[in-house]
Amino acid sequence: MSDKQQEATSLIVEKIAQAGIKLVASLPDDWIAPLIFAIDKDDRFKHVPVNREESAIGLCSGAYFGGVPALALMGASGLTTCIYGITKINYSFHIPLFLFATLRGVIGDPRPHHISNGLYLTKLLDSISLPYLIVEEQKTISRIPDAFKHCIAMNRPEVVIFSEAVLRGEA
Amino acid sequence: MLDLRDCFKYFAERQGDAVVITSAGVTSGTWWRTTHDMDQTFYLGASMSMISMFGAGIAMGAPNLPVWVFMGDGAFAMNPGMLMVERDLDLPNLKHFLVSNRVYNATSAARLANAKRNDYAGIARAVGIERVFEIDSLEALHAQFDKIVKAPGHTFTVLEVEPLREKPGGVPLDDAESKFRFGRYIERKAGIKIFRHPALEPLLR
Repeated sequence: MSDKQQEATSLIVEKIAQAGIKLVASLPDDWIAPLIFAIDKDDRFKHVPVNREESAIGLCSGAYFGGVPALALMGASGLTTCIYGITKINYSFHIPLFLFATLRGVIGDPRPHHISNGLYLTKLLDSISLPYLIVEEQKTISRIPDAFKHCIAMNRPEVVIFSEAVLRGEA
Repeated sequence: MLDLRDCFKYFAERQGDAVVITSAGVTSGTWWRTTHDMDQTFYLGASMSMISMFGAGIAMGAPNLPVWVFMGDGAFAMNPGMLMVERDLDLPNLKHFLVSNRVYNATSAARLANAKRNDYAGIARAVGIERVFEIDSLEALHAQFDKIVKAPGHTFTVLEVEPLREKPGGVPLDDAESKFRFGRYIERKAGIKIFRHPALEPLLR
């Protein structure tokens, strides 16, 4: 990991801690793997690797009833698989859920298997009125605690979506 | 084979402070018909394969509160990998009960894939869960109940039940009401704070 990426990862971790997050449920894509490693070795968090992204939705939603502030951390593809769980659990029962995802398939991401994410991820979130914060510059990382507060205040899910450049410390 | 109604009656009489999470379908409907409980039970009437993860989240935050999860085998078949996470967590207050009737009982009597051969207990043992039980009669349930429920430690228990011929019907409880009744119960019993509004916090200091 480069020094820049280390710095960006540390900054995100600090903002997660500042938000009061205690539990992180994760399933990696390669962009967020360094963040997952950093969270895993940080004693301020209980890190739970899950078998599929929807399990993170279930775990973090239950953690709400355990009084544990939680974060579900996943890639863009994983998030698209969770729409049913999010709408059925979190929308129906008004359970807040804080998520991180990746901004895959946009200009600058040459991987053909993420084209669908570039085309549809934000449109999909818009279609179900799911609020999101796109982080394309490092300075926006500082808004993570506010995004979490907003999520709790609204009693709704909210997603923070990171560009590759931010996660690599290059933006 | 167990009759699900008798089985749930047995559990309900011994529930104590435990919270219960039920999956969609006859599991939720039968627990409701048995208990009419609106406070200690969360009827997660959708995303049914998520209920043990949901229960695990509660169990982590409220370690002194027993958490019972009743999941149909239709739900289990959608996400058996949840057991890997459960084993990793190994939460002593989480008791996972698999209601196995081998059919999709809520929507029809259509059989599950590979229904006769599925060894649910074997799957649980294969991921390393140590305390696995298989119950197919009330006598067996009575004999094993304390080991499963009262002894500390995560357990996975297969309840082999007959499919119900008469559908129990749905749960007449609004989802938002369910959230607050269930959450307030946990707040009282576990002494934790769940509901808060950050915008109000500065005003309350």
